[in-house]
Amino acid sequence: MLLAVLVGGGFAEAQFTPPELAAEEPASPADATRPDAPAAAAPSTSGLGRGEAMIAAMRENIAALEEQATELRKKLDDNTDNDTALVDLRLQLETLSKGVLQRAVALGPRLREINARLEQLGAPPAEGVSEPEIVANERRALIEEKATINALTGQAEELSLQVSSDIERIGELRRELFTNTLTKRVTIDLTLAGEAFAAFLDEVNQLYRSVASWVRFVLRFKIEAFLGATFFALLAAAVIFIGGRRMVGRLIVRDPANQKPSYLSRVSVAFFSSLLPAAAILVFFIVALSFYHGFNVLRGDILLLFGALARVTTIVFLVHRLARAVLAPFLPAWRLVDIATAPARRLYWLAMAIALVTAFDHFATVVSEVLNSPLSVTVAKTLVASVLVGLLVFAVGLVKPFEGEDGLRRWPLLIRIPLFLLGASPILAAMLGYTVLARFVLHQIVVSGAIAVTMYIGFLAAQAMSDEHAFANTLVGRRIRRAFALDDAAMDRFGVAAGIVLNIAILVAGIPLILLQWGFQAQEIFASAWKVMNEVRIGSFSFSLLALFGGILVFIVGYFVTRWLQGWLDDRVMARGRVDAGVRNSIRTAIGYLGIAVAAMIGISAAGIDLSNFALVAGALSLGIGFGLQNIVNNFVSGLILLAERPFKSGDWIVAGAVQGTVKKISVRATEIETFQRQTIILPNSELINAAVGNWTHKNKLGRVEIRIGVAYGSDARKVSDILLELARNHPMVTKNPEPFVYFVDFGDSALIFELRVFLFDVLNSLTVQNDIRFALYDRLKAEGIEIPFPQRDIHVKAMPAEAFDIALPAEQTSQKAVAKRSRRSKPDPDAD
Amino acid sequence: MNRFVFATLAGLLLAAPAFAASATNGDAEARTLIVTEGDGRSELTLNPGETVDFCPSGCFVTMPNGDRVALTGSETVEIRGGSGNVK
Repeated sequence: MLLAVLVGGGFAEAQFTPPELAAEEPASPADATRPDAPAAAAPSTSGLGRGEAMIAAMRENIAALEEQATELRKKLDDNTDNDTALVDLRLQLETLSKGVLQRAVALGPRLREINARLEQLGAPPAEGVSEPEIVANERRALIEEKATINALTGQAEELSLQVSSDIERIGELRRELFTNTLTKRVTIDLTLAGEAFAAFLDEVNQLYRSVASWVRFVLRFKIEAFLGATFFALLAAAVIFIGGRRMVGRLIVRDPANQKPSYLSRVSVAFFSSLLPAAAILVFFIVALSFYHGFNVLRGDILLLFGALARVTTIVFLVHRLARAVLAPFLPAWRLVDIATAPARRLYWLAMAIALVTAFDHFATVVSEVLNSPLSVTVAKTLVASVLVGLLVFAVGLVKPFEGEDGLRRWPLLIRIPLFLLGASPILAAMLGYTVLARFVLHQIVVSGAIAVTMYIGFLAAQAMSDEHAFANTLVGRRIRRAFALDDAAMDRFGVAAGIVLNIAILVAGIPLILLQWGFQAQEIFASAWKVMNEVRIGSFSFSLLALFGGILVFIVGYFVTRWLQGWLDDRVMARGRVDAGVRNSIRTAIGYLGIAVAAMIGISAAGIDLSNFALVAGALSLGIGFGLQNIVNNFVSGLILLAERPFKSGDWIVAGAVQGTVKKISVRATEIETFQRQTIILPNSELINAAVGNWTHKNKLGRVEIRIGVAYGSDARKVSDILLELARNHPMVTKNPEPFVYFVDFGDSALIFELRVFLFDVLNSLTVQNDIRFALYDRLKAEGIEIPFPQRDIHVKAMPAEAFDIALPAEQTSQKAVAKRSRRSKPDPDAD
Repeated sequence: MNRFVFATLAGLLLAAPAFAASATNGDAEARTLIVTEGDGRSELTLNPGETVDFCPSGCFVTMPNGDRVALTGSETVEIRGGSGNVK
């Protein structure tokens, strides 16, 4: 405060600009529009004027806030043992803290202005050098104003710190209160019993009187309102139950005829049949109570009683449904745990008994509070209830639930010991006089137990959902399958994802609930959860879970948008435009890659991942990775080029090196080709770009086929040519333009070689055409008597010794035969006769 | 799945977080900000060129040159010449 006054005084001095300044500039400090006043001076003075008003207002605000804070602190000191007051104060303090921050933030723009202005004025002059007085004055004024602002912000900061520490103190006080209440001890002795009994009778009387008086009151004065409220309450009940049954009836009903329900359906029925009816009852109670309250039918104490009644009924109902769900005492096929039937029934009744006793105890406590009964009654009631519940829990521990070879086996030790301890604790606590602690234990057994069992069922459900084919058979799964037309593998993946999501949801919902039961305050839980979600620091590397989820969500959204865009473009735009199938495929794939890349970038950006730390490591590794990935990147880029340039499209017949076949699919890394032997060959794209690729069906399906034939020397060449042309022209698959052409290739070693060259409409028919023509040609040549010779060789025998022809023949025959033996085509032997 | 691999390979970006205020040190030497958040004061030292996220839910910041500012958690602070510009 003192500082503010001091600073305020200094500032007041600056407000009165020295007379010479006023004389020099005819413009008054508030006049900002004189054109030939030095441009530097005019705006600043008006700025100063604005600033000082704001600062004064701000100072008042902060003073007011400080007063508020002091008031609240005083109230805090007065109410250190009043939990509700503490909660209220905490809320007020938090609002105050926000207010302080807001005020301080409002000073920010002015500070910015001042800083900008100071920058404009430039650096202060060095020693000895003087600057124009206007500038010096302004600079001084600005610096003083800045100092004031800083001081004010400092004040706000201090205030904020104090308020925060007060809030912390409230938290501590409440925790202390809680522990103190729990550990308050009451001496128990026999006099208590007599006192308690008398007081109990008294209390019953009082309760009867109280309720009776209220009933009389209602009957006399509020009968219509009461009936009206009852009517609406019943209406609400009808809506909730009938509507609920209609909507989710199938989910929560166990079909007794079904002897082997799947695990998932068992678990999901268990889950829904416990939660949904309990939720329905809760909603009904809330609605009914609000109607009654709204119609002003309830008295204050009756309202409390009804509230307690509603609470305990809901909890008991929930326990009933849960126990039925898990133990399924009457429908063994639907049981979730492996327990024999008789023990299951026993356990069910035990659970119900525990819940009922605890419920009675709670209701009785509320009654005692409302009627202001003496402490002894409460202690006695809690004692009775604790002993009963303790014994019941013992009984649970003694049950033999599992089927064994000879009769039933007991619980494993790991479960029995905690159960016995759990049974002993309320008894001990109550006997020793720690009444509140005993009640607390009872409460926890029932409520935390119920929550834990619900969570357990939920976990089982999540696990079952991740099993193979399980998700696809559920209601939700079927809907999703229809909506997105997914196949089995995709549904399984969805199931796994659904399982994970369910697990997380259960943890997020269940753990805070349990913590709340244990006295942690909602604010604290939320604050620590928020801190964990927002920042997880590991050394100098921190990331935020929340931001990470946000990033993943953004990516998923982007992915689906991309798929939708692909589909839309393909179906609506390109199909209508009758674009070629190959082009469509290319565009579709390209958009897919682009969309996913963009989604990934935005997702990573949203996730707040700062990769600068990785940059160093990545830089070092990049050399190695680069070398290793060079082929893949080569293929990837080649794939992109293929998509863009389209030297071939899906369905073309291409020849790549030694491989030829039909293109099936062009992916980013490789292209799939199917050979005519129906073998799929996967060619890396780089090979298709770096080497020559032949495409039979690039522009059209036209193709040329050559059929070679050799006819014997001596045949009529022109006749052969005519035959060939005739056959070619008669074939329907041969084009007339370009027309078939017979090419007399060569005078071969053994034959006259002709080649028939025909163009086909569809080069894929080449084998058929060649077959047809060759068959026809063979028949025709045979018919015409034109010979297709074998490979021919002329042999010239230069000299043959006579002994070669030595055979036992008559002399004249010998010489004749010798002559005849000479090959027909031999050259005439000059030595022959 | 191939698509995912290549899409993520193709799009790595250094990120700007979205949920807290950030401060960037534009000077050539390390600067210290004094941050009062909730119930405690702490010092935040920034190396030259470093960007740090802090203050997700409102705080008071004292700049190296003594200026004091209140932030709500969505601003960017740039430190130049010892003084901070809040955007």
